[in-house]
Amino acid sequence: MTALTQSIVLAREARPVRKGPSKGLDRAFRAASLGSALLVLLVLAGILGSIVYGGWPAFREFGFGFVTSSAWNIGTEQYGALVAVIGTLASAFLALLIGVPISLGIAIYLTQLCPGWARKPVSMTIELLASVPSIIYGMWGLFIFAPLFARFVQTPVSNVFEGLPIVGSLLYARVPSGVGILTAGIILAIMIVPFVASITRDMLDQIPTVLRESAYGIGCTTWEVVRHVLVPQASVSIIGAIMLGLGRALGETMAVTFVIGNANRLSASIFDPGSTIASRIANEFNEADGMQLNALMALGCLLFVITFIVLIIARLLTRRAKLA
Amino acid sequence: MSPTTSMSGQLAGRNPANESAPVRIAVKDLNFYYGQFHGLKNVNLNFHDRQVTALIGPSGCGKSTLLRTFNRIYSLYPEQRAEGQILLDGQNVLDPKVDLNELRARVGMVFQKPTPFPMSIYDNVAFGLRLYERLPKSELDGRVEDALRKAALWDEVKDKMKQSGTGLSGGQQQRLCIARSVAQRPEVILFDEPTSALDPISTGRIEELIEQLRTEFTIVIVTHNMQQAARISQFTAFMYLGELIEFAPTTKIFMNPDKRQTQDYITGRFG
Amino acid sequence: MDARNPILATAPAGSFPPRANRVRPGRRIADKILITASTLATLIGIVVLGSILLMLIVEGIKGFSPMIFTQPTPGPGSEGGGIANAILGSLVLTVIGIVIATPVGVMAGTYLAEYGRNSKLADLIRFLNDILLSAPSILIGLFVYTLMVRPMGTYSGWAGGVALAIIATPVIVRTTEDMLRLVPSQMREAGVALGAPPSHVIKSVTWRAASAGIVTGILLALARIAGETAPLLFTALNNNSWFNANLLGGIPNLPVMIYQFALSPYQNWQSLAWAGALLITVTILALSIVARLVVKDQRAR
Repeated sequence: MTALTQSIVLAREARPVRKGPSKGLDRAFRAASLGSALLVLLVLAGILGSIVYGGWPAFREFGFGFVTSSAWNIGTEQYGALVAVIGTLASAFLALLIGVPISLGIAIYLTQLCPGWARKPVSMTIELLASVPSIIYGMWGLFIFAPLFARFVQTPVSNVFEGLPIVGSLLYARVPSGVGILTAGIILAIMIVPFVASITRDMLDQIPTVLRESAYGIGCTTWEVVRHVLVPQASVSIIGAIMLGLGRALGETMAVTFVIGNANRLSASIFDPGSTIASRIANEFNEADGMQLNALMALGCLLFVITFIVLIIARLLTRRAKLA
Repeated sequence: MSPTTSMSGQLAGRNPANESAPVRIAVKDLNFYYGQFHGLKNVNLNFHDRQVTALIGPSGCGKSTLLRTFNRIYSLYPEQRAEGQILLDGQNVLDPKVDLNELRARVGMVFQKPTPFPMSIYDNVAFGLRLYERLPKSELDGRVEDALRKAALWDEVKDKMKQSGTGLSGGQQQRLCIARSVAQRPEVILFDEPTSALDPISTGRIEELIEQLRTEFTIVIVTHNMQQAARISQFTAFMYLGELIEFAPTTKIFMNPDKRQTQDYITGRFG
Repeated sequence: MDARNPILATAPAGSFPPRANRVRPGRRIADKILITASTLATLIGIVVLGSILLMLIVEGIKGFSPMIFTQPTPGPGSEGGGIANAILGSLVLTVIGIVIATPVGVMAGTYLAEYGRNSKLADLIRFLNDILLSAPSILIGLFVYTLMVRPMGTYSGWAGGVALAIIATPVIVRTTEDMLRLVPSQMREAGVALGAPPSHVIKSVTWRAASAGIVTGILLALARIAGETAPLLFTALNNNSWFNANLLGGIPNLPVMIYQFALSPYQNWQSLAWAGALLITVTILALSIVARLVVKDQRAR
């Protein structure tokens, strides 16, 4: 090989003088994109910072008692979060209790049972439920659902269970108005269904068809395929999806404000009105002043902590599933 | 009929290797790492001006890796690094001071799958030109036409220059990508298995095209297809497990290789 | 076929006894229950959406008249009037929100997909963005209240717009990143191999390749913020007349107007709330459907 000794005699023919694009613009673009990404961090920090700052006086004033006290007295400036926290947790819990089975049912229907031609429109309908504004759910809950609920559920159920221990107090409406913790839970359930159902559907879709077909191939029924093949495969991400729904239910404001009744009392009955953290903030914030404002901010802190723990768990679960 | 004899037919009457052609790219003691993995081991190799050099070898032998060092496209991925020297016209392209964008304008590349950009055919071809040369409209038009002609695509697209490049057939898309590279008038064009996603007829056209482009450009092509290497290249480098096993004029590699491994590979005993 | 395959054709039925009886009744029942329950669940979903739409149409049409597009909201207990000020206010707030959120969201999504693929910082930002995506919107309202309303001493359209922007941004970041990741890396390599600097490849190749998806993200974000109420309560508030050109003071807007009017004792206000609700829901559903069609279009190509 003659190669190495041969120097590069080749003249650079009449090649155009290359003048590259500006380096500065390239760097500026990169910096701008990094800056925008950092803004996301900054906003999250800002949210936490602002409510901690606003809620601090209330925490200092009431200490840990803020969380355990059920007082909310504007006249005497005594504030406690207990009623709102319990209302938030109870309505979200009820939402999961009702919403999760429905979501799973929809996901199973869409992935296993639905005839091909109906899949698109049915999926679309369920997904559209997610884009209906929450205030519309509130109006639907208050004006359509609550009267029906009062007439066909609350009144008969109260009559049946009145006087019985436990159920008698849990399911008894002093005034069957249709609004209350359970109504809020039902509306929230409807609101989280599209989220949980569509994530679950995607997860079930990701399971290789071979797996499903081989299960059917050995003679499994749909129930057995779902129970023993699909659910175990997708369980982690389904739990993640449920947690995402929970996060949403905990922080939902407008729909709940319409239907929860906004009462500050602890009641054993889920038919009775109550309030959640978000509904109380929405109701009182604009008229609040002084310590009440601080107490509402402090409520916001609690909501932040609760929802963010739930959301972090949810994201970790759905993320792990994606990697697997 | 053994592969060797079938190939000797293809080799007959083709352009012989010009071993006295000047060296365009000289690779010296090149080592390449993917994180911990040692992808190329002490590769030394020269590429001659206006010759087609084929890189062959089994999957994972490092032929694509070697190709991707010439324009340092690997540097898009932080965990990949190269050590040693690659002299392009005497200038070490691995030198950190080298302007990558300018280097890539001098070393064109055509990929395995056609990669037309989501823009019109015209804009596709003019993409690189607009970056480096401020040309008046008429001259730009001329350069685009020239590039499309060289890529044997002009007649098929001259009436639909404003249409999207993604609407062309696979073979046309690949020729569009070749035109896009050619338009910049690079010194070297790298082909990374340019026909592996194409049907036989489109493959044939691309091979003819490479043959023509050789009169103007130094060409390096990675291919899985040994017949293709035999048909279009003047030099062939056989690589195995990250090492360069043998480099010689294509006729020699296919007719009378020095190394046993080369012989085994081209006769299909492994690979 | 049968003739050529005598072995199969003549195989006596008796040699493969029907196995249906091997399936225990319990298995069949469980299966039936599952099928019924999941079909029922889907029906519930469809019925709820249907009844919401029905309610909006029945009640909304009653309150609909050309006047709602020309007249501002009436005073308490008075007759007539419209919701023109709230419609305009909502448009202004949504536009401010999306105009802020789009560049920030697209750039941040670009960072995550193009520059930060392997960086820990990008992982963290991606994770927190996902959390912000589902963060309670009322907390965002509190944040913007502290950030803007308190220092400025007044509710304003600017504060409302910023609150909406904070809600829209994570949606855009997420879809932009997802869509950019769908662009094959060979496309980027091809751009870079022509000597284009990374920013140029992003701007003229990757963004273009992902454009339909990015537009979808923006439309989805638009649908999301158009109906947001909670964060506007403490930032833009509402008022019952036209608003100042400098957007200071309460800005009328559809969601808060609907909230206040729907819960009011006045018949006229209530029917205006229904008209507003119909308008806003139809707009948002239309946006969501268009967004989905854009994606479908993209995939079809």
